[in-house]
Amino acid sequence: MHEIKMNRKKDKGFESPRKSVIGFVELTIFPTVVNLNRIKLNSKQCRIYRVRVNDLEAPFIYNDPTLEVCHHESKQRNLNYFSSAYTAAVSAVDPDAGHGELVIKVPSELWKQGDEMNVLKVYIEFSLDQPKGGLHFVVPDVEGSMAERGAHVFSFGYQNSTRFWFPCVDSYSELCTWKLEFTVDASMVAVSCGDLVETVYTHDMRKKTFHYVLPIPTAASNISLSVGPFEILVDPYMHEVTHFCLPQLLPLLKHSMSYLHEIFEFYEEILTCRYPYSCFKTVFVDEAYVQVSSYASMSIFSTNLLHSAMIIDQTPLTRQCLAQALAQQFFGCFISRMSWADEWVLKGISGYIYGLYLKKTFGVNQYRHWIKEELDKMVEYELKMGGVLLHPTFGGGKDKDNPTPHLHFSIKHPHTLSWKYYKMFQCKAHLVMRLIENRISMEFMLQVFNKLLSLASTASSQKYQSHMWSQMLVSTHSFLKSISNVSGKDIGPLIKQWVDQSAVVKFFGSFAFNRKRNVLELEIRQDYTSSGTQKYVGPIKVTVQELDGSFNHTLQIEENSLKHDIPCHSKSRRNKKKKIPLMNGEEVDMDLSAMDADSPLLWIRIDPDMSILRKVEFEQADFMWQYQLRYERDVVAQEESILALEKFPTPASRLALTDILEQDQCFYKVRQGACFCLAKIANSMMSTWTGPPAMKSLFTRMFCCKSCPNIVKTNNFISFQSYFLQKTMPVAMAQLRDIQNLCPKDVLNFILDLIKYNDNRKNKFSDNYYRAELIDALTNSLTPAISISNEVRTVDNLNGDVRLILEEITRSLNMEKLLPSYRNTITVSCLRAIRMLQKNGHIPSDPSLFKSYAEYGHFVDVRVAALEAVVDYTRVDRSSVELQWLLNMVQNDPAHYIRHKILSMLGKNPPFTKAAESPLCNEALVDQLWKLMNSGTSHDWRLRCDAVNLYYTLFGLTRPSCLPLPELGLVLNLKEKKAVLNPTIKPEQGPDTTQMTGNTMGVHIPVMGFTSSEDEIDMESPHDSQAFIHHHLNILERPSTPGQHPAKHPAVIILVHNWAVLSLPVTPLPSFSKESTSSSKHSGDHHHHHHHHEHKKKKKKKHKHKHKHKHESKDKERDSHTFSNSPASGRSVRSPSMSD
Amino acid sequence: MADPAVMAGGFSAIVGRSGCGKATSSSAENYQLARRRTLQVVVSSLLTECGFESAEKATVESLTEMIQSYISEVGRCAKAYCEHTARITPTLSDAVVTLNEMGFNVDTLPGYAKRSQRMVITAPPVTNAPVIPKALIAGQKRTHPSHIPSHFPEFPDPHTYIKTPTFREPVSDYQVVREKAASQRRDVERALTRFMAKTGETQSLFKDDVTAFPCERVECWRPSSIPYLSALLPSELELQTLEETDSSEQDDQTDSENTPVNNLNDDPGADKENSVLPAGGVVPLVKVSEENMIDNPYLRPVKKPKVRRKK
Repeated sequence: MHEIKMNRKKDKGFESPRKSVIGFVELTIFPTVVNLNRIKLNSKQCRIYRVRVNDLEAPFIYNDPTLEVCHHESKQRNLNYFSSAYTAAVSAVDPDAGHGELVIKVPSELWKQGDEMNVLKVYIEFSLDQPKGGLHFVVPDVEGSMAERGAHVFSFGYQNSTRFWFPCVDSYSELCTWKLEFTVDASMVAVSCGDLVETVYTHDMRKKTFHYVLPIPTAASNISLSVGPFEILVDPYMHEVTHFCLPQLLPLLKHSMSYLHEIFEFYEEILTCRYPYSCFKTVFVDEAYVQVSSYASMSIFSTNLLHSAMIIDQTPLTRQCLAQALAQQFFGCFISRMSWADEWVLKGISGYIYGLYLKKTFGVNQYRHWIKEELDKMVEYELKMGGVLLHPTFGGGKDKDNPTPHLHFSIKHPHTLSWKYYKMFQCKAHLVMRLIENRISMEFMLQVFNKLLSLASTASSQKYQSHMWSQMLVSTHSFLKSISNVSGKDIGPLIKQWVDQSAVVKFFGSFAFNRKRNVLELEIRQDYTSSGTQKYVGPIKVTVQELDGSFNHTLQIEENSLKHDIPCHSKSRRNKKKKIPLMNGEEVDMDLSAMDADSPLLWIRIDPDMSILRKVEFEQADFMWQYQLRYERDVVAQEESILALEKFPTPASRLALTDILEQDQCFYKVRQGACFCLAKIANSMMSTWTGPPAMKSLFTRMFCCKSCPNIVKTNNFISFQSYFLQKTMPVAMAQLRDIQNLCPKDVLNFILDLIKYNDNRKNKFSDNYYRAELIDALTNSLTPAISISNEVRTVDNLNGDVRLILEEITRSLNMEKLLPSYRNTITVSCLRAIRMLQKNGHIPSDPSLFKSYAEYGHFVDVRVAALEAVVDYTRVDRSSVELQWLLNMVQNDPAHYIRHKILSMLGKNPPFTKAAESPLCNEALVDQLWKLMNSGTSHDWRLRCDAVNLYYTLFGLTRPSCLPLPELGLVLNLKEKKAVLNPTIKPEQGPDTTQMTGNTMGVHIPVMGFTSSEDEIDMESPHDSQAFIHHHLNILERPSTPGQHPAKHPAVIILVHNWAVLSLPVTPLPSFSKESTSSSKHSGDHHHHHHHHEHKKKKKKKHKHKHKHKHESKDKERDSHTFSNSPASGRSVRSPSMSD
Repeated sequence: MADPAVMAGGFSAIVGRSGCGKATSSSAENYQLARRRTLQVVVSSLLTECGFESAEKATVESLTEMIQSYISEVGRCAKAYCEHTARITPTLSDAVVTLNEMGFNVDTLPGYAKRSQRMVITAPPVTNAPVIPKALIAGQKRTHPSHIPSHFPEFPDPHTYIKTPTFREPVSDYQVVREKAASQRRDVERALTRFMAKTGETQSLFKDDVTAFPCERVECWRPSSIPYLSALLPSELELQTLEETDSSEQDDQTDSENTPVNNLNDDPGADKENSVLPAGGVVPLVKVSEENMIDNPYLRPVKKPKVRRKK
């Protein structure tokens, strides 16, 4: 069990807050091997004062190879080299392989008792000063006490990142029970995992200690904390659910959370399983790392998800976030994963049940739309970047195959993944779950989930000794086994195709109708040679809509068969007036005059249910697409036909789209899509277009006053469908162009009138999104200025229309400062508009306005919009000043999200690419970026991967071209290295062979050309840090004994965390309760010297205590980073206790 | 002595001077100057009577001024008294009361008049009394209605009481109303933003002309507040309109909301009675009632530290 105590120090009043944490951890360890003499834990950026094992001072080494990935001042600057080195560094401290940054030598006195397998209690005192990762302190720079300012702190991280804020075994597969104590200022609330048992004042009554107990075995990575002056809302429907938000936001919290109970009910019903924890907490924090993150029995959300009843657009988004968080509570927190390779199961299941929730709440249309959107997104990514592999297997260490050679990063560890890749990974996971559902039926699917959950909840109530806890971990294998047990079906091929293998399928379809045979000759070809594609063999569904009805055919895609003959049911005879039956049983009248007289085919769809992860390019005649758009009831089909109709700019397409626009039965997103398609068609038909500009009369009819058609009605957004349409139409209309390629004057005036006459006084909802979209419409209407050489843009030569637009924009922007809108949507749109004006040469290109909006202190959406403009400016103007400014912000901005966002925006819209020459590409920049990813981002996995991505985009995998040519020898070396290089080889001799040499092996990397891949230790390899560990392990005299750390998960160090130490009456281990009370007294204060827990020797558990102290002022200057940065300081074997 | 006619004439001349032409003013001046000269003679003879041999001109001037004021005041007061008793011509008693009021013993007057050494002054030269300029007459004055006696003053000029209604159709055309509302709002917004731009620091989108399209410098954007608060909380304006618009719908909403919420909101009284609010705790933020029903650990009072610490 872990016990954690923390004192969080935040000074009130005038002093700036110290942002520091002092704590201690006590772990109870059951050795499973006889000679356990070294214990490896994960810990980053913590300063460790002392370590004791069973009350004996224990020497320890603290070394974090990921702090600086490549040590040599190597001039190589080669991403291949970096990636492999980084993977090796991460592997070297991978808890799943039994490694860690903190190596504790068990005192020799304890070795003797080896045979008895006594429990070891490891006690670690540590502190964190101004942590750069793991915990985020938000301290607004305003007047007032900490509580009044809304200062708060919360834990965050990408995947397992708990090691950033306390030493632990930072793995999802090491479960233990927890007891957590946090001492905070009396004005604050500490929210953490598990049940709040009691809150006690400290003796001076200025602080409070929150005591939490989490009896359900939980991985350290699922532990979190947030502390702040939160307002508390007990859910009115479920009293065990508590919501927390920052001061003044309570009304929003009440409204936003009024819906949560329905999500609870939904999940509990479909899973036929109670929510596994006894309580649930939602915390809304500012400057959140991600919108939603789930931890055991609590979730941390971004405060920007909160909204009032007047906001339309945010409402579904917030509900979706809540639903995601809750799905992850079941699968992800309660049920954890066996290893990284099994991550897809959890992400898949949680994503899948979230999809079921979407279907129930937002309807089938929304669900199918979402599935299509996700599928398209993922397919696009895979085709562009190469495949996404759900279940990587790294065969037996020596296997040289890299499962993903196309990627510039390794997928062996979550921490080396590109963020975008990880998103697509999640996307694919839930899509694959849906495929499995298609195969075995939803009923069985839910049974499988239920089985997993009930096994886990049985296991969770057992003691550690029952060895049942592994039931709470899910692995690919166990999941597949349950599926086959429950359904009796073999889904092996499916898994092989989509899970064990990356890439998607790309189909090209075309057809011909053979009138004589009355047969549809369908040809389906595949592209399986280009990157990201694979070959598909198996069934595929084809739906054919004929005059007599809709028919499904299942074709078998085989190796060499391209052509498929499908017999048609109906003859072409359309003189008979007859209703045409659709797939859903509906019968409709159609005007069949458009169709080919000889053919009974109305439209054809390939794989309509999206049961293959594919991209289909299908060719059929324009009238068939039009029929499909009008009469097919599936939104996916409608969206596909809208996309296809872009290529057919004819009056018939125009009519079909207009009809869809007017049809209020139709799904609103389809109608929104139709708007944009119509605009494109209108532009293609420019010369033959008759009548008013597209959509204008439609808009007038729908939203303008009957008596005066140029004036829009006062806003009434009670019907959301028409609200969304009203928002979209002007934006689409603004894309119209006349023969001079300008936005037609009518349209511009129309939009300006919409803005002018906009009147929201009688509306129950806020119109901020609508107004923002009107500004977007103005932006869309802009076209490049007629360039008059390179003349400076002045006010005087501003085009009249542009002047109107500009006036509108500046007025809105300035008004927003006086009357801010929700999420400052209008400012965001205005900034985009100004950038567009600059880009089109209407006003001078100048980043200073954006830079001031991008400063810390503005709302995050505004900052992102401003930064996007700066990024764009950097690319267009090739400005190194701005690039430096951006990179500077990446290093120094307080908000992690902004840092991440800058790098990903730079990656998306890069100032230059590896393909092109640029004055920006110089040695200094290479050095700077290299430094950033090598050592500058060690506190945030995600940021480091972003930096790697950017480096890849700018310079590619090999040496950046702008560097001076290296000497000849090196070149050879490089090449050789390239040849040898293979990410898979490197680290993983480790687990199997190495108990002894585990560390050293993991450390060294056979990247260097001259290294043979085996055991030799190359001290010159980039991994000095590893060598360093090795070196110091030798200092410890005794090498670790083989077998001590079984390489795989049932790692030697089994952490069973129990509350024995400080247990409370509730404990299920009653035998301990007495001893524990004695110790619990001490826990409150700072004197850990009193902590002698002689008790509970017999129980093999791990305890953690954390204890936070007042931060000593002498430490103040030294920030933790520099501390941990220098290996020397970590070297303090037998470091004296620095605490009082 | 008190000559109301003179007084009245004097006043109207002053009034007239401002309004009338030159011809009248010169004749009025002559008239006045003649009177004034008489007064000067009176002052001089009184001085001689008192034994002065000579006097500075300025002194005589001052004394003349004083005596003129005195006489004027007597006239004014006497007229006031007479009007007070609903007459239009002052009588002797009015003058007597006035003099008494001004602290002059009337009884000594006959004796003074008959004093031996008094000097006889020639009457002022006859000048034409100034023509009282006619007031502007607009239309026919109304005659007195039957219940008002004819000696009552006449009605004033009709322009003082006649009303001429000017009437225009109120603008009810929808288009115009909307047009007006829109342009009004726009004008207000424009004026406001320009004012803010003028008074605050601004950033310009153009380098050459700093005044065109100013954007207020962002630093002045509420530096004291926390960004997410202003971005998330609805503005007062919005709240206000919300209240206005859906007060009717609000009823429906509360109905549809489930009972627990209502319970929570309805029982603040019970809350105060039952719960022990911990001193300085966080808990008071939550107004949750029915402690017995809601047992949430975050609502429990904070415990006092155990005393067992000393050992």
